[in-house]
Amino acid sequence: MADSDAEYDGEGPDEDDVMEVSDGGRRAMASRPKERAQARWEATASSNWELQEAADGSIEGILGGLEEAGKRKRLLKDTTPLQRGIIRHTLLVLDLSSAMLEKDLRPTRHLLTINYTIMFVREYFEQNPISQLGIFGMREGLAIRISDMSGNPNDHIAALKQLRSTEPKGNPSLQNALDMARAALYHTPSHGTREVVIVLGALLSSDPGDIHDTIKACIRDRIRVRIIGLAAQMHICAEICRKTNGGDENYYNVAVDEVDYRQQLMDITTPPVLRSTDTEAQKHNQAALLMMGFPSRIVEEKPTLCACHGNLTRGGYLCSRCKAKVCNLPATCPTCDLTLILSTHLARSYHHLFPLRNWVEVSWTRARQEGSIQCFGCLTPFPRIPNPQEAVNGTEHDVASARTKRAEGASESSRYECETCGQHFCIDCDVFCHEVVHNCPGCQSNAHLPGNQNGHDAG
Amino acid sequence: MNAIDATDRAVAEQDIEPPSLLTIIIDTNPHAWALLDDTLPLTKAVASLLVFINAHLAINYTNQVAVIASHSERAEWLYPTDVHPDNVQSNGALANGRDYEDLMDRGGPVQPPDDANKYRPFAQLEHTLMYNLRKMMNTTTTDAINSSPATMLAGALTRALAYISKQTASLPTATSSTQFNYSDPSAMAGGNELTTDPTKSANALGLSSRILIVSVSGDLADRYIEIMNCIFACQRMSVPIDVLKLAGDPVFLQQAADTTGGIYMSLSTSTARAGLLQYLMFAYLMDQTARNHLIAPGEGEGVDFRAACFCHKRVVDIGFVCSICLSIFCEPLPDGTCLLCGSHLSMTNYGRKPVVVPKKKVKKKKRPTESGTDTPASGAGTPMPG
Ligand SMILES: [Zn+2]
Ligand SMILES: [Zn+2]
Ligand SMILES: [Zn+2]
Ligand SMILES: [Zn+2]
Ligand SMILES: [Zn+2]
Ligand SMILES: [Zn+2]
Repeated sequence: MADSDAEYDGEGPDEDDVMEVSDGGRRAMASRPKERAQARWEATASSNWELQEAADGSIEGILGGLEEAGKRKRLLKDTTPLQRGIIRHTLLVLDLSSAMLEKDLRPTRHLLTINYTIMFVREYFEQNPISQLGIFGMREGLAIRISDMSGNPNDHIAALKQLRSTEPKGNPSLQNALDMARAALYHTPSHGTREVVIVLGALLSSDPGDIHDTIKACIRDRIRVRIIGLAAQMHICAEICRKTNGGDENYYNVAVDEVDYRQQLMDITTPPVLRSTDTEAQKHNQAALLMMGFPSRIVEEKPTLCACHGNLTRGGYLCSRCKAKVCNLPATCPTCDLTLILSTHLARSYHHLFPLRNWVEVSWTRARQEGSIQCFGCLTPFPRIPNPQEAVNGTEHDVASARTKRAEGASESSRYECETCGQHFCIDCDVFCHEVVHNCPGCQSNAHLPGNQNGHDAG
Repeated sequence: MNAIDATDRAVAEQDIEPPSLLTIIIDTNPHAWALLDDTLPLTKAVASLLVFINAHLAINYTNQVAVIASHSERAEWLYPTDVHPDNVQSNGALANGRDYEDLMDRGGPVQPPDDANKYRPFAQLEHTLMYNLRKMMNTTTTDAINSSPATMLAGALTRALAYISKQTASLPTATSSTQFNYSDPSAMAGGNELTTDPTKSANALGLSSRILIVSVSGDLADRYIEIMNCIFACQRMSVPIDVLKLAGDPVFLQQAADTTGGIYMSLSTSTARAGLLQYLMFAYLMDQTARNHLIAPGEGEGVDFRAACFCHKRVVDIGFVCSICLSIFCEPLPDGTCLLCGSHLSMTNYGRKPVVVPKKKVKKKKRPTESGTDTPASGAGTPMPG
């Protein structure tokens, strides 16, 4: 087996190029693991000192502000409804080479990756219920199959749990992994996405041939590759991700620590934004109005034969058109060829179509004007509104000024306002409503909102 | 090899009963209750609910309760009390001079009369709930009733979920991981699901919450998306939604109970409605731990999985689905353009099979073994698609 086409960055002439790929936070990272660990330690140490220096006067206000600002930072995303690839085909490729035995991520890279991958699988099917996932591994220069493409999270989780008892070995091969992924994704219908996600712990790739041919083949097959590195930036990874994502350089990242690693993995569970080229392609040949049935589940007294397998079952789903009984959904009716699907599967993706608008920070003036004293969602009392005259002199002044100095993004009055219904909420409800429930409690609780007759938050 | 530094540490088993938060959503839609008036008036239903709530509080002294009314044009808290800005002076102190933190502790601006014969928490809850319900009914105008015949169930559910999430977060859980707390970017507000060790359930000792919807109205289709969002949020937070249906069309509430693992029962006859308290006590009183050992009522029934179309809010069992954004329409679109995402959709082949159905597997699945020798592996001879 020929040696790697991949090279370290750092020494090479491409260093600048590679460093541009990483963003601000990761720029400080050096290419060798030893130095990287040091940089990470230094980063935490220095941020602790910064915190103490800033905390003159009221520490709680600053800390609370930082905490709120951190929570809000990831909330403030663009809420324009984007076209997203909701029917996805994703292949997750895990590194099972000896580099995964490293203990810089606790307990080991290997075990942490398996634990995170199990969470990833759950979250992936939570977010993309009608998508397919497959898991491959890279070990001893080969690509091995861990689980087949399937829509059932339990298959994948069972396979991943078995992987815990195995030992990582040998070198990974990006080329073999990509070729095998390409073969697995080859038959997937073209109106879904084709994605490959590689978790790479090693700093080399031991490939049998020219990986650039494989990259070209991936581009031809519309495969988008994302790589999460666990050690350092590698030039070949940056190239693979850039070329297969239409020049976008945000698809290759190196995890700085456990939290960052998990965050990057979880980010992938959000359906990807469709690029214009994809959209064009889809508009030309695939976009279609599909007729689907939403059958209801029945339970029968006596077992009857199902139309799909001919087994005796006590219950199942009746086709909405011809009333044939099928045992599982999604399925195609064996009698009349109608696609049968659980309507709850489709409904899971609707919050991407109607995203909840970001809420705005509330100034003391605005809070005084509204007189809000508790969160509309959870009834938690807000901090008291200082009187205008008290704010100028006396004790209230300190509190007010300390609050004004709170971190960027956090509201000085700890209130956040929905601009549609004008209600005020606490930070926890802000995070909860935007991340979990995707509804505004205020907008949903009042039928007579100005300009909200159509019943949608986004309206 | 991971026996030394892996994360499996023995967590001390505690056998104390975890506290349970019961959130009741009462559908107070006046239209629907007017139809039920001769068999089960609202006052009688509320009286039965109060007995039920007291039973829940009596089971465990740490148990909590919250009650929300899903009224015809707004969703309101009945217990604990929502303080309106009107009652409050500009600086946050209450108009009658009391501090509002004090007010929160006692559950509302109203104090129950002293009665030595009643357990004080019961008296306080009953008094607050009745006071708020009466106040809400008195402030309901005829205009409001005439303008909306529906109920604000989506709002009531969203407010209930926000409250549950906050209560869960404020109660420390023994098993939740401290490694990823606020620095954890993807932890849910409830902290319920993504712990580092996926084999442990995070809320083993935390607050276990459930929602009971007492529903009388039928038509919920105009809030289809919002209600579905709430259902999926409940599922993520593992909060079951129990539904007690007194009248009306069951579609989405049945899906809610089924998706979240709650109990669904429909009391459609007047004799069944007469036994409301009995149904409440026997079917809905046990918490999640107890339910593991019992056969849930209503399990032997089917579930109606119809959806609401986006164009007319009709409930349909066959729909036309845009392959890009998955919106559901009840009839083929006149100009072939999706109303939501604007994609041009080909109309000629809408009977075509979409891809959501997995293809039949031909190969038998093999598991990777430790050596990796007998697994399907790609060497240099990986199958190359054209
Ligand atoms: Zn069958
Ligand atoms: Zn059929
Ligand atoms: Zn809140
Ligand atoms: Zn709002
Ligand atoms: Zn329609
Ligand atoms: Zn569409």
